[in-house]
Amino acid sequence: MNSDQNHPREVLVEVTGLKKYFPIRRGFFSRIQGYVKAVDDVSFKLFRGETLGLVGESGCGKTTTGRLILQLLQPTAGSVKFEGRELVGLSTRELRPLRRGMQIIFQDPYSSLNPRMTVENMLAEALRVHRIVPKQEITTEIYRLLDIVGLPRLHAKRYPHEFSGGQRQRIGIARALSVRPKLIILDEPVSALDVSIQAQIINLLKDLQKSYGLTYLFIAHDLSVVEYISDRVAVMYLGKIAEIAEAAELYHTTQHPYSNALLSAVPVADPDNKSRRIILTGDVPSPANPPSGCTFHPRCPLANANGDFIEQCRVEQPGLVEKSENHFTACHQV
Amino acid sequence: MFSIRKKKIQNPREISLSIYKKRWLKFKTMKRGYYSFIILIILYALSFALPLFINNRALLVKFEGRYYFPAIAGYYPGDKFNQDVPGEANYRLLREQWQDTGSDNWLVMPPYPFGPFEDITVKGNAMYEPPSRQHWLGTDDTGRDVFARLCYAFNISISFALILAILNYIIGISIGGAMGYFGGKFDLIFQRFIEIWSSLPMLFVIIIIASIIRPNFFILILIYTLVNWIGMTYLMRAEFYREKAKDYVAAALSMGQSNLKVIFKHILPNSLVPVITYFPFAIVGYISALVGLDYLGFGLPPPTPSWGQMLDIGLQNMSKWWMVFSPVGAQFITLLLVVFIGEGVREAFDPKVYSRLR
Repeated sequence: MNSDQNHPREVLVEVTGLKKYFPIRRGFFSRIQGYVKAVDDVSFKLFRGETLGLVGESGCGKTTTGRLILQLLQPTAGSVKFEGRELVGLSTRELRPLRRGMQIIFQDPYSSLNPRMTVENMLAEALRVHRIVPKQEITTEIYRLLDIVGLPRLHAKRYPHEFSGGQRQRIGIARALSVRPKLIILDEPVSALDVSIQAQIINLLKDLQKSYGLTYLFIAHDLSVVEYISDRVAVMYLGKIAEIAEAAELYHTTQHPYSNALLSAVPVADPDNKSRRIILTGDVPSPANPPSGCTFHPRCPLANANGDFIEQCRVEQPGLVEKSENHFTACHQV
Repeated sequence: MFSIRKKKIQNPREISLSIYKKRWLKFKTMKRGYYSFIILIILYALSFALPLFINNRALLVKFEGRYYFPAIAGYYPGDKFNQDVPGEANYRLLREQWQDTGSDNWLVMPPYPFGPFEDITVKGNAMYEPPSRQHWLGTDDTGRDVFARLCYAFNISISFALILAILNYIIGISIGGAMGYFGGKFDLIFQRFIEIWSSLPMLFVIIIIASIIRPNFFILILIYTLVNWIGMTYLMRAEFYREKAKDYVAAALSMGQSNLKVIFKHILPNSLVPVITYFPFAIVGYISALVGLDYLGFGLPPPTPSWGQMLDIGLQNMSKWWMVFSPVGAQFITLLLVVFIGEGVREAFDPKVYSRLR
């Protein structure tokens, strides 16, 4: 799992202090009443050729982070560097050549394909925008892409409604691959598929990574899938990264109490397994009004001392600190 | 298994159909709507050739060795053909004269040799003639042939409605689409503008303008367009808001596709469903609007043949039943056909497989 031996640790994407606040507007003049802090000060690095798993519960800002990296959303603050080039603040025109380097695969295979375009047209579109291949070779290139993702060539003339979910996801992958990207953001690519198809798609993604040296940001909430595919894993909670470490390290020596609770919820196929299930009390706080200090403290078993919260957790925001080698955790108590 | 697959691949009938193609095929199975569509299309196409079928001008005249085409070329004075009538030649009389005298000159009349503008000033015409073999639907208060006027008015009504609908759609779709796609301040400002604009009292504006200038066909369309494009923006704005949030738009943007391409190639084809299903009903509305306006006397200037005007004259002469029933019947049949088409289209776009109206 450790990618150190296989790849030199060259940084492909560097995200620093990324923030996205969605304004809440109310009233007659649509005055801004507050902000939903969807992504709040997120920093991490993506190394070339690795897979970074991004996990967290619904609404913690995983998808927003992915879209911010692609500049599909304008970040409120922070910087995204792709191969050392700053993306934030570039105009659409300046971004266009850079878009070739990064692609996204979506969760919902039904809304991610234009229902009025044939597979052929969809794949040709990207090839034309970036002039990947000369005009007369477009058809050959489309066939090559279909071969790569394991779809028969005669599917090129078909429309999305003629495909199953797994096939659609393969088309989505072919479309992402068409521009020969370096980074692919996988936004829960298998969540909408059934389990047998999930395995096929995940294995396809792994094979593609190996043959084309792709870098993945794998966004998911299924922790076992993330463990299988990721080199490193980042855990997000309420728009912040709680813990980031090598996958094996994180899954075995979990540090952050939230990651702990999350991992304890993964079912284990062993009837004798008596591991304790950590059940968090309370609901996820609203990202529009996050708790002071450590955002996790109202639900944290470590911060709760005799029914009272520890002063430091209540007041001071914990930063990501390297607690052990390559293992960063944002917690005062670890 | 393998052989079955191979067979399938070679089967040329296994062509994938786009959604619109499928809907067209489904529309074809909607017999009532489909046949109405065909009938209306044929009638409308024929109505452009009306001067060749229903006309008081001859199709072809051979006079002293030379050929004339009055139906196409237009006005020829009577003395051109040695006829002693004031103004335009009366070709029906001319034919009788030449046949009686057995001259070498001859002419070919259209199948229905009466025009929509011929009135009592033309020799041989009379007012209030009941329907006969000559005048199929009789003549009106100024001796004009009702059937001829009815047919010409059909072309004008449909053309008016079509041009108006297409104009409204172009403006409404562009503005509504832009509002939905760009959102934010642009949307807000345009929404307020539309709210103010839509409160214009349409009928009064038309009446005022009609009292200042005599509106012709195009001015009338222009006035109608000023207010009517608004309805479309609501639909398109909502459609664009919905479609732009879908992932395929994000995929196109992340591919580096330009806004314009995303709007026209991706979002627009996916937001045309309400536009298409609404179209026949818009046509019904516009035909009725023109009839209403003509009836009130603020529409097309007389003597332009129009159903509204014919209805007005008919109601002033209630005892002459053919003058009342003709415009009402024509309008009824036309609107019925359009409504049938609309029903068929709506049904074809209904995702449910089983339907009531088949």
